[in-house]
Amino acid sequence: MTDMRVEFWPAVKKVLLYVLLCSVTFVVCFPLIWALSTSLKPKSEIFAIPPTLIPKAMTLENYEALLTGRQQYYQSGGTAQPSGPTPAQFFTRWFMNSVIVTIGSTIISIVVSTLAAYSLTRFRYWGRTAIPYFSLVGYMVPSIIFVFPLFLMMVRLDLTDSLWSLIFGYVCITLPFCMWLMWAFMRSIPIEIEEAALIDGASRYQVFVNIVLPTALPGIIAASIFSMIVSWNDYLFGRVFINSLDNLTLTVGVMLFFEGTHVDWGLLMAASVLMTLPMAILFMALQRHLVAGFGAGAVKG
Amino acid sequence: MSRLNFLSSDRFVGLVFIAPFVVTALVFMVYPIAEAVRMSFFSYNPLRPDLTSFVGLANFEFVFSDPLFWDSFRQATIWTLLSIVFQTVFGVSIALLLHRALFGMAFFRGLLLFPYIVPTVVIALIWRWIFNPEIGVVNHFLLWVGLINEPVYWLSTPTMAMASTIMLNVWKYTPFVVICVLARLQTVPLELYDAAKVDGAGVIRRFLDVTLPQLREVLIVVIVFRTIWTFNKFEEIYLLTKGGPGTSTFNLAVYSFEQSMANLRVGVGAAAGVVMMIMLLVGSIVYLRIAGFGSEEK
Repeated sequence: MTDMRVEFWPAVKKVLLYVLLCSVTFVVCFPLIWALSTSLKPKSEIFAIPPTLIPKAMTLENYEALLTGRQQYYQSGGTAQPSGPTPAQFFTRWFMNSVIVTIGSTIISIVVSTLAAYSLTRFRYWGRTAIPYFSLVGYMVPSIIFVFPLFLMMVRLDLTDSLWSLIFGYVCITLPFCMWLMWAFMRSIPIEIEEAALIDGASRYQVFVNIVLPTALPGIIAASIFSMIVSWNDYLFGRVFINSLDNLTLTVGVMLFFEGTHVDWGLLMAASVLMTLPMAILFMALQRHLVAGFGAGAVKG
Repeated sequence: MSRLNFLSSDRFVGLVFIAPFVVTALVFMVYPIAEAVRMSFFSYNPLRPDLTSFVGLANFEFVFSDPLFWDSFRQATIWTLLSIVFQTVFGVSIALLLHRALFGMAFFRGLLLFPYIVPTVVIALIWRWIFNPEIGVVNHFLLWVGLINEPVYWLSTPTMAMASTIMLNVWKYTPFVVICVLARLQTVPLELYDAAKVDGAGVIRRFLDVTLPQLREVLIVVIVFRTIWTFNKFEEIYLLTKGGPGTSTFNLAVYSFEQSMANLRVGVGAAAGVVMMIMLLVGSIVYLRIAGFGSEEK
């Protein structure tokens, strides 16, 4: 009898646990599931009552409109008229702009912070303990404070409305955290191997490239993911720095879909899905590193 | 010391490696902050730069006597407090749920952490879609279940707009709490639980007496961080409600942005930013005290 109890209760507990997990996950993910579902529906089904979770007539027309930039026609007074440049026509261009500024700013932030973190943890000079904490405070400064001074700086440098302004702008919001994270990570790497290599006659640069960089790779990956997420998701800098349709990033551009008289929800949800996709792929591929990075950087301190 | 010796010396390498950071930080962080502080003492209209003049503390006087500033402050406090409470409660609960060795846990963990990386623009768009009063699925569901008798105007009544922005914020940032708590849970020694079990402690007692004290430290850090960030959030509010209806969801960041962008009072916007920064500095000092800066330097 005791044996039965031992086998029966854990099994029930396990089932209940899975039921709970599935329900929580469904509620949390519902907004995303609904967005995906809407993006796959034809216009007629989007407003159907009762709403359908799984589209009855699944279609890729919204994705096609975004990716091919097909000119859209609206019915007005019986004849179809071209509606002028629509946001859908710029979608692929905005996508590429977002890719460029995200990668550009991430490379700068990572290179600068990795070099600095090595220097701070391996050399002794005035300010070596203050700089990481200074970065941490910088990380907490909201971007709303940076945005206008930086904008005026870009005006003077003649960089407004160029992707460079965004690359530099995103360095300003990603560098502090990358610095803090890389510093925490480098600090945890034991110094003995490097010392042994130095005694064996290796130069500082050899040690850095052959020993330190490979060991610091998990930290570099975590910092890169963080930096890419922040740059890709930003709206404020893009909104203030850029004013031509050609140079907008995805976040600012997609908000323009709301202008005009009618909102095409299918198109908007397809844009939302495509915009989330690169981050989703990154996240899935590197989830382990993300958690490890948070463990090293944000929690300890 | 000869020149060649200096170039290959450790001191030189150390300086070369730190130099790019110092330059970047000075140009893109220290300078803009200093400039923001300077601007807060000037009257500046971007369309009439020729009229720029030093006005002393007039911008701060304007801010502190502006009822909208105090409304924004009050609304930001409400939105921060409620966001943090829900994020912490949900975050700890989900972390406890995920902290088990079960088949498929990586899958659930991935999905539950996912909202953290979804762009705020995307969340705002989805929110506007599912919370749409006429055609949104949330109202449809609530009507169908019978919880409400008529559509709720989620984004166009002040209370509901505030509730919607809080929901958005909680949805996006609870994973941050989960990640931090989960990382800490993994280091709690199992012996503590065994000992508590032997002493006859039930599930709730074990949570209160073993888990919670172990989580105390990480929760304090997470709450301080999240409070500072949430209080100053801009996009989460602006993209969903633009601070509206009216000014009912303004916080200080939206206030500062609207003063600079819509009213073209850049000096006033900067002054509001400086006030935010001072509050943030106080928060940071609290954090550094908690983290024990200077006490455990190697």
